[in-house]
Amino acid sequence: MADHKIEAGHYIPTAIPTDARGIASGESVSLCYTLKEGIEAPAMDFLLMEGASLDLTILAYPGFSGRLLVRVFLCGRNANANLRGAWIGRGSDKLNLDVEMHHTVGSCTSEQDFRGVLDNEAVSYFDGRIVVAPDAAATKALQQNHNILLSESARAETRPQLEIYTDDVECSHGATVGALDANELFYMRSRGIPEADAKALQLRSFLHPVLAGLDVEAREEFLSVL
Amino acid sequence: MSDILLEIHDLHAGIADREILKGIDLVIRKGEIHAVMGPNGAGKSTLSAVLAGKPDYKVTSGSIIFNGQDLLAMTPEERSWAGVFLSFQYPVEIPGVSITNFMKAAINARRKAQGLEDMKPAEFLKLMKEKMAFVKMRAEFARRDVNAGFSGGEKKRNEIFQMAMLDPVLSILDETDSGLDVDALRIVADGVNSLHNEEKASIVITHYQRLLDYIVPDIVHVLKDGKIVHTAGRELVAQIEDTGYDVF
Repeated sequence: MADHKIEAGHYIPTAIPTDARGIASGESVSLCYTLKEGIEAPAMDFLLMEGASLDLTILAYPGFSGRLLVRVFLCGRNANANLRGAWIGRGSDKLNLDVEMHHTVGSCTSEQDFRGVLDNEAVSYFDGRIVVAPDAAATKALQQNHNILLSESARAETRPQLEIYTDDVECSHGATVGALDANELFYMRSRGIPEADAKALQLRSFLHPVLAGLDVEAREEFLSVL
Repeated sequence: MSDILLEIHDLHAGIADREILKGIDLVIRKGEIHAVMGPNGAGKSTLSAVLAGKPDYKVTSGSIIFNGQDLLAMTPEERSWAGVFLSFQYPVEIPGVSITNFMKAAINARRKAQGLEDMKPAEFLKLMKEKMAFVKMRAEFARRDVNAGFSGGEKKRNEIFQMAMLDPVLSILDETDSGLDVDALRIVADGVNSLHNEEKASIVITHYQRLLDYIVPDIVHVLKDGKIVHTAGRELVAQIEDTGYDVF
């Protein structure tokens, strides 16, 4: 996989939006945004103080189109941001997801796992920036974006971008765009599970890392549209 | 009524443009256990994949009749409903799908195909419990995700557990012994042996003699370069162990 680390260049701090939601020292915030047709995406800017923690899940249902911007500023040590998202795109749905993870101080951790399932002509663009400031030693930042395309005309683009200005970091990203695994599908069918049901189980498995932490009701409601 | 369960006639099959099976003839009767042995690359796994209906493989000529039905005209799920089971050499991990839900989907899909209603939850749980004991799986096994994080031995035991749940007429064990320690090997073999009866048949595909010390075959075939080059009784297993496959 290509390394998107920017070697040269100067660190220019990004201005923190004035209306970013602040999460105070030691505070834990857990949010789940459900996006459906006609719903306008909320602003998702967060500022985390020392020891603060943010747990954010975004679920985009078929029919939702739009641009999502998530910006997280880790401004106090030992802050932790955990971002997850799943989307199911159908018809001509178009989703843009821009994530910016700013590690402005050290000893913070961030994890991102975004997964899309795209059918018909649906398209998604994922832009994931991780910026680690020069003073942000002992940073741990992970990012995953995986996409399953169910039709020939569905499309997913993924652009991870790591901008790291210090050496003492543990940073990794993984991005894939692919079809359902044929061997997995055959395994299930060989047990008597019909192809359509087997595919639904595969997608459930694919989205599992994003949905595992949700309560059963929210998870099953989302999976029921598969 | 014929006691023939499976009849393979002049089967040619391969993947992409490469022919791997080059004319297989094989007749399996009810009550028989057949061993298919052979060196790596002989086509053993291709034979099992073609029997189970793996879509990547293309049958170019020949026929397979299973219980009077044209097996090659059936989808993998239809073959399963008709009583064919393949124990995979490399069972697939399905994180996020529990063994309970996986088996429920499999059992109820077959019942639906047979025009039956879903199995009652209590009845299903009783069946699960019984078959788990059968392969010496602990109770928490039911809640685990299919093969996710399983050891090699656990994966193979899970295959035999699924086999016990689905109670197939024809079981195909593809290199089920690979990666098993002696204890796991014994559990797997005990499972296969006790599921066997006069109405059923098994094909045990293996490279080594080891598994055949526990699952004793009636008929042994040597598969080499896509063809069955030799067929004999169980005494052939010991001979292969002595001479290897070069003499065939």
